Amino acid sequence: MSLPVLKNYINSEWVDAQSNATGDVWNPATGKKIAIVPYGNTADVDLAVAAAKKAFPAWRKTPPLSRARYLFRLKDAFEENFEEIAQILTTEQGKVIDESRGEVRRMIENVEHATGVTTLMTGYTLEDIATGIDCYGHRQPMGVFSAIVPYNFPAMVAWWFLPYAIVAGNTYVVKPSEQVPMTQTKIMEILDEIGLPEGVVNMVHGSRDVVNAILDHPDIEGVSFVGATPTAQYIYKRCGETGKRVQALGGAKNIVAVMPTADVDDGMPSIVASFFGCSGQRCLAGSILSPVGDKTDEIIEKFVEAAKRIKVGDGLDQETGMGPVGSAAQRDKVMAYIEKGIEEGATLLLDGRDVKVDGYPDGFFVGPTIFDNVTPDMTIAREEIFGPVVSIVRCSNLEEVIDLVNTREFANATSIYTGSGNDARKFKYEVTPSMVGVNIGIAAPMSFFPFGGAGNSMYGDVKGHGQEIFQFFTDTKVVIERWF
Amino acid sequence: MPLTSFGSILTFAEGFEIQDMAFYSEAVKFTESDEQTALIESFIKEGKKLIAIVQRTRRENVTEMILEPIQDFIRAPFCTEDNVCIGMTGANILETAKKLEQRSIDYYITAAVKIKALPEVGVALKLLAKKHTARLNMINTI
Repeated sequence: MSLPVLKNYINSEWVDAQSNATGDVWNPATGKKIAIVPYGNTADVDLAVAAAKKAFPAWRKTPPLSRARYLFRLKDAFEENFEEIAQILTTEQGKVIDESRGEVRRMIENVEHATGVTTLMTGYTLEDIATGIDCYGHRQPMGVFSAIVPYNFPAMVAWWFLPYAIVAGNTYVVKPSEQVPMTQTKIMEILDEIGLPEGVVNMVHGSRDVVNAILDHPDIEGVSFVGATPTAQYIYKRCGETGKRVQALGGAKNIVAVMPTADVDDGMPSIVASFFGCSGQRCLAGSILSPVGDKTDEIIEKFVEAAKRIKVGDGLDQETGMGPVGSAAQRDKVMAYIEKGIEEGATLLLDGRDVKVDGYPDGFFVGPTIFDNVTPDMTIAREEIFGPVVSIVRCSNLEEVIDLVNTREFANATSIYTGSGNDARKFKYEVTPSMVGVNIGIAAPMSFFPFGGAGNSMYGDVKGHGQEIFQFFTDTKVVIERWF
Repeated sequence: MPLTSFGSILTFAEGFEIQDMAFYSEAVKFTESDEQTALIESFIKEGKKLIAIVQRTRRENVTEMILEPIQDFIRAPFCTEDNVCIGMTGANILETAKKLEQRSIDYYITAAVKIKALPEVGVALKLLAKKHTARLNMINTI
């Protein structure tokens, strides 16, 4: 059976890539190829950007409320196709179907939030800044923007940016992850149905060549990126060289602290979900568990027991608790980190290396894995693993936990489980990461709050979504006016 | 088989709502009075809305908390066999309908308690239980 070959979406048409290079798309649960994705090149990006540039003048003149109406239609279209998007997402990415539904929901929430453009994009004015002189700050769209998005959230991440960009009057080019291009392709098929003007939204498939073409293109005003920190650094630097706006969200090493005052039984389900949800392939996933004080052994025992109960399998099976990791390469990388943990002397409490899933002999599965007695200097306590591997770093008090959090290179998110308001306040006040959970395992800001970390987890000034996103996608033009 | 997740609870409900609607769609051919026919037709009409409520509840309430596993909730007490209408009398149809409606009420009430981490979902499940209770009351008046 021949595999479907994906196409680029440029100027409201489905077109073959200019390049002949291709890659394979895999179902991580079955380990089988399911599609062919073109690896585009500079010529593909040129076509997409030209279409977006051509569409910009008319689109920016379209009243904001009229632009928002396209998003209302898009929201309805997404709701109608909700299950299909979620099924495709799980098929190519591996996460369990409820996680995919949750991701699609988050995508739609960004569309919903962006429809508030008529209040979110307003500028400001001040009369009589000098005698008879008034001043106006207008927010104006700038032109073509682009997003380069990762494999772990194939639907949602592009939509942390895209709806705000276009509702503000810009036009757009999306590059999906070449590992999971089918979900965004389906989304563009749905978008095509709502009748956006030609060229307002475009999509180019590909890998490094497409990324570089976007970064270097003189007609692209700004780039939004989410992915690993080394790539975020590369993109930030290269966009700086070409004078683009940039928001580059990188990796994470998130710590979940559990204080002796915490309600462990009530908190445990969300603690477990933090570490093993999406097979640990979230930038908000817990990676280090830090139990504090005299309940440490009890916390660890309950955590390990809960992890053992997670059913690993195909994400399309409604009863599966954890799906595979995203690729064979990622599975091998995670396995190598487990080996490293053993080599460096951590105590392996739960070993996910030999997990077997009936009927899926070729899937990219790694079972829940837990190391105890990890020290802060060990590789598995420092580097981003991006898999279902937990490092337990025991701490004797809150200060020690805060120090552990603030000495990681990453500063994306962190959580504390506690029954003490005093401890919670000290923690959220002193930790460096920008997304903090209190008795919440996954501190994921919703669309109306900004998403992004600090330290090596974020390069740029304006984070994803939230109210501030309109600053990224607009230039504030100041007009100083006097009439004689 | 256990129901361990937000999605599995609502997908199971979606499944039996569809199954029940299929039963009523067939059963309406075997009713024996205008009153029975009107009742079953109203169930068919409302069935589409019930399915839509379940699907919308699943679609609109997926948050990170959906991943918190649900414990001690299994399908078995709420499973019903496929009901074949051929040969059924009007009384048989009403008797089967009573069992289906009672099963739905029991399921939604139990599920609403199990899914305590998501209060909005609990509200929707209680609403569904209320709608099925109203249907059961209607059957009992015939």
